[in-house]
Amino acid sequence: MPPRASKRKATASHNSSSVTSADDSPTGTITGLDNVILIAPSDKNKTKKTDRLDTLFDSYANCSSGIIDPEGIEALCSDINVEHTDVRILMFAWKLKAQRQGYFTRDEWRSGMKALKVDSLSKLKKGLPELEKEVNTPGNFQDFYSYAFRYCLTEEKQKTVDIESVCELLNLVLGSQFQSKVDLLIEYLKIQSDYKAINLDQWMGFLRFCKEISFPDLENYDADLAWPLILDNFVDWMKEKRS
Amino acid sequence: MSLPTKRSATATASTAGTSTSSTYPPMKKAKCQAASAFSPLDYSKNGLHHSDEVVFDPSSISLDDDPKLVDYCPPPAAANLSRKKATLPQPAKKLVIKLVKAKPTLPTNFEEDTWAKLQSAIKAIFLKQPDSCDLEKLYQAVNDLCLHKMGGNLYLRIEKECEAHISAALQSLVGQSPDLEVFLKLVATCWKDLCDQMLMIRGIALYLDRTYVKQTPNVRSLWDMGLQLFRKHLSLSPEVEHKTVTGILRMIERERLGESADRSLLDHLLKMFTSLGIYAESFESPFLECTSEFYASEGMKYMQQSDVPDYLKHVESRLNEEQDRCNIYIDASTKKPLIATAEKQLLERHISAILDKGFMMLMDGHRIKDLQTMYSLFLRVNSLESLRQALSMYIRRTGQGMVMDEEKDKDMVSSLLEFKASLDSVWEESFSKNEGFCITVKDAFEHLINLRQAGLSVIGKEMSPIDSWFADLLRLRPLFPVYGASPTNRPAELIAKFLDDKLRAGNKGTSEEELEGTLDKVLVLFRFIQGKDVFEAFYKKDLAKRLLLGKSASIDAEKSMISKLKTECGSQFTNKLEGMFKDIELSKEINESFKQSSQARTKLPSGIEMSVHVLTTGYWPTYPPMDVRLPHELNVYQDIFKEFYLSKYSGRRLMWQNSLGHCVLKAEFPKGRKELAVSLFQTVVLMLFNDAQKLSLQDIKDSTGIEDKELRRTLQSLACGRVRVLQKLPKGRDVEDDDSFLFNEGFTAPLYRIKVNAIQMKETVEENTSTTERVFQHRQYQVDAAIVRIMKTRKVLSHTLLITELFQQMNEIGRQTLPSSKTFLLLMDIDIDEKNILCCKQLKFPIKPADLKKRIESLIDRDYLERDKNNSQIYNYLA
Repeated sequence: MPPRASKRKATASHNSSSVTSADDSPTGTITGLDNVILIAPSDKNKTKKTDRLDTLFDSYANCSSGIIDPEGIEALCSDINVEHTDVRILMFAWKLKAQRQGYFTRDEWRSGMKALKVDSLSKLKKGLPELEKEVNTPGNFQDFYSYAFRYCLTEEKQKTVDIESVCELLNLVLGSQFQSKVDLLIEYLKIQSDYKAINLDQWMGFLRFCKEISFPDLENYDADLAWPLILDNFVDWMKEKRS
Repeated sequence: MSLPTKRSATATASTAGTSTSSTYPPMKKAKCQAASAFSPLDYSKNGLHHSDEVVFDPSSISLDDDPKLVDYCPPPAAANLSRKKATLPQPAKKLVIKLVKAKPTLPTNFEEDTWAKLQSAIKAIFLKQPDSCDLEKLYQAVNDLCLHKMGGNLYLRIEKECEAHISAALQSLVGQSPDLEVFLKLVATCWKDLCDQMLMIRGIALYLDRTYVKQTPNVRSLWDMGLQLFRKHLSLSPEVEHKTVTGILRMIERERLGESADRSLLDHLLKMFTSLGIYAESFESPFLECTSEFYASEGMKYMQQSDVPDYLKHVESRLNEEQDRCNIYIDASTKKPLIATAEKQLLERHISAILDKGFMMLMDGHRIKDLQTMYSLFLRVNSLESLRQALSMYIRRTGQGMVMDEEKDKDMVSSLLEFKASLDSVWEESFSKNEGFCITVKDAFEHLINLRQAGLSVIGKEMSPIDSWFADLLRLRPLFPVYGASPTNRPAELIAKFLDDKLRAGNKGTSEEELEGTLDKVLVLFRFIQGKDVFEAFYKKDLAKRLLLGKSASIDAEKSMISKLKTECGSQFTNKLEGMFKDIELSKEINESFKQSSQARTKLPSGIEMSVHVLTTGYWPTYPPMDVRLPHELNVYQDIFKEFYLSKYSGRRLMWQNSLGHCVLKAEFPKGRKELAVSLFQTVVLMLFNDAQKLSLQDIKDSTGIEDKELRRTLQSLACGRVRVLQKLPKGRDVEDDDSFLFNEGFTAPLYRIKVNAIQMKETVEENTSTTERVFQHRQYQVDAAIVRIMKTRKVLSHTLLITELFQQMNEIGRQTLPSSKTFLLLMDIDIDEKNILCCKQLKFPIKPADLKKRIESLIDRDYLERDKNNSQIYNYLA
């Protein structure tokens, strides 16, 4: 077992992307195997890396709960010189597949950092642009976008996010790509009174809108299609505003 | 000798013929020619000496000489006859006819002489002098000239003569009197004279007209020649023509301005133009132009000066005047363009101004007569469409004032009824029952009635998803009650309330017939309601109260209303309402049998009489359960009844609706005994005072268990209303937390029986809101159910197809309105038989695609559907 494991490890260190793909691969056995390897104390290199990750984790984790809480995240952010409201932190959370807003568990930390191929703060800092690039590939962005929304659902059974947070979130994740659209959308969301919160369907609709609708003429917008009503209203509002 | 004579007669004719022409012309012509061979003497002479002219010389007749002649001339039968006779044995005696050698010759200066005679006569005629020569001779002279083929020359001579004269006559008019009327008279006289003269000349030269003119192409009759000459010379002196035309126009204008005009003079002159054939160009077009100008300026002026009814009257009289004018002196052919010109200038150009300025005023003033004038005038110029639009605008604007003003809600229905009645009478009397107008009125009313309405969910807008999430979480109803929210359809609600008011007991002074009439009128408004479910909800709520509290004015009237609604909307609409009546009747029976049952006779506490209404859930409005701690006696009663009822109808569940109970209490006040009609809550409160003098609000609340708001209202009705059986300390209109209540020792009232339970009849805000809310809910359920039904069968469906199918599930009418207004009518129930479809049409409520979207989104939210991950246009059904 160990030799095989070391072999695997070796390939993994050579080509880290294969690890990532292994992670993503639906075959449970390989992942299981990986886990075994990760914990295996006999593997020096592995242990060393895991140790380093754990040490790093522990330096930010709350002693009593054993996970990184918002405070820890803030500390992490300041250590890598990134605002904790920066979109890259959100991307980091996405990469970590963090389940709960403001918290990283050890498992999330380990697998996420591994996927990022980093084991130190300086590497993490250097890896951020790479991460940003990764997120912005068409395949990943939608996933990231919907993750961003789900990440904001903090309560159990919560399905919607209040308008104010949605506006911030929109600005964060779409602001750089679709500045003018997002600004207008946010302006509208703030003045309208029909909705106090936004659900996932509407949220996904915003992305679709930004991606597909020509702007500012809105020519290809058709209210008869399945756009969420809030976007119909938004378009009406824009048209009215323009005239 | 008779025989030869006969022969000679035939021969005469033929020989005479030969004398003038070498051919053998037909008999008729021959005769004519023969006549021309007579000496040109007087007619009378001719007649006398007729026989002298032909000399019969029997010897000169030679049949053999010229057999052809004989053969030819007589008709064949006669010839045969003569031949036969000729063959009779008779002495051969020759009959010879000798022609007079010398041709009759005319006197050399015959033509000149005759003409001289005629000329002098013509001149005399023109100069209006007597002529020496008598007319018959003149006629003969013409005749003679014509016979001698001098017609052409004669014609030319006459023409020349006439021309000279006519030219002179017209020349004489040049420069004549500057006064137009005088001048016109001169022209008229000149014309008349000429006509007379020409007639006279024609009389003399009639023969010329009949022979020469007729036989020669391109020659006018004398009369026409006269006219033609007149025309020619008139055109040569344009001054005269112009002056005449302007003169006429001036006169007509003066007449239009109210002065009198010599109509016969005008008539003459215009006839002159017509006769001359220059009417259309010389007169008609300047006339129409002039008319147009006149009325253009008059129209402008009058529109500014006078108000619309006066203006319309003026226009009407103007048009009549022009009509008269045409009948009297203007050529009939001008009538049409003339009237059209006047109409155009006086009406067509001012249509919108008239409507803007006066229509509202006329309608407001209910001025049937003026409106009728307006209608008939507008009809003339094809402007009814504008009038119709104005009417529509008017109804909408006026009605909007009635419907939209919340402060006037109380009178809305009655003012709408009045308004409708007024419109109907205007329509009938002023707009001659024009069908288009009828539809306009209906449309406008429908628009009005449905102005204040919401489709699916305007109860304070759609609740936000977060709200619905909480609602789900807390297992609340899907919609939060939003108090004071905008109503579904306020007019529908008010119509229901108006009916409640009419059908409620205590409307003294209205007879059954009057009530019936009112119901019918209200029904007219009812038809316009789009949200009939709103009406139904409120009507039902009010009906329930009337029935349960015994406040209905007449059960007959109630039932008549129900049957009216049934004919209007079908049985589906009314079966619940009818169910309510059934419940009431059934309850009576149950009460009867309860009274006779053993339980009642043995166990009931004495001194209490009770009757119970058993209401079927579903028929009646839903009432929120209200707890109350009943006095022991009542509790016992309720239990006994329940036992009785359940023994009779097992398996049913009885729920007491305390808020609807009402009682009659016997109260002994120090100043007299009274009977108090009170609600059950009031009863419970009052009975506390059997054992106590003074109670605080908290005491009462604790003992009765009535909900706070309801209790306050109850106490207010007992201590702060018109009838005060309790006293509140301290005094005041509203019930405060620290108030306490006293039995009112000094209570007096003129009547023995006193009603204190009016409070029960009154509609509370909560009640109103919940009724409205129920309507919305019901509508939402309908739509949700439709969506789920479709998705359940389809599993996967695109948005567009889903919407299409949704509208397909709705009715034809919905689809008809689809393209234009984007408002659809969702029918509540769709049934197969025709009557029910009709009823469904009535049960419509407006729904927009946005409403449907909202429901779809809500279903996505509630995990009935999901948006497909790969194609956002597609929904998946989540089982």
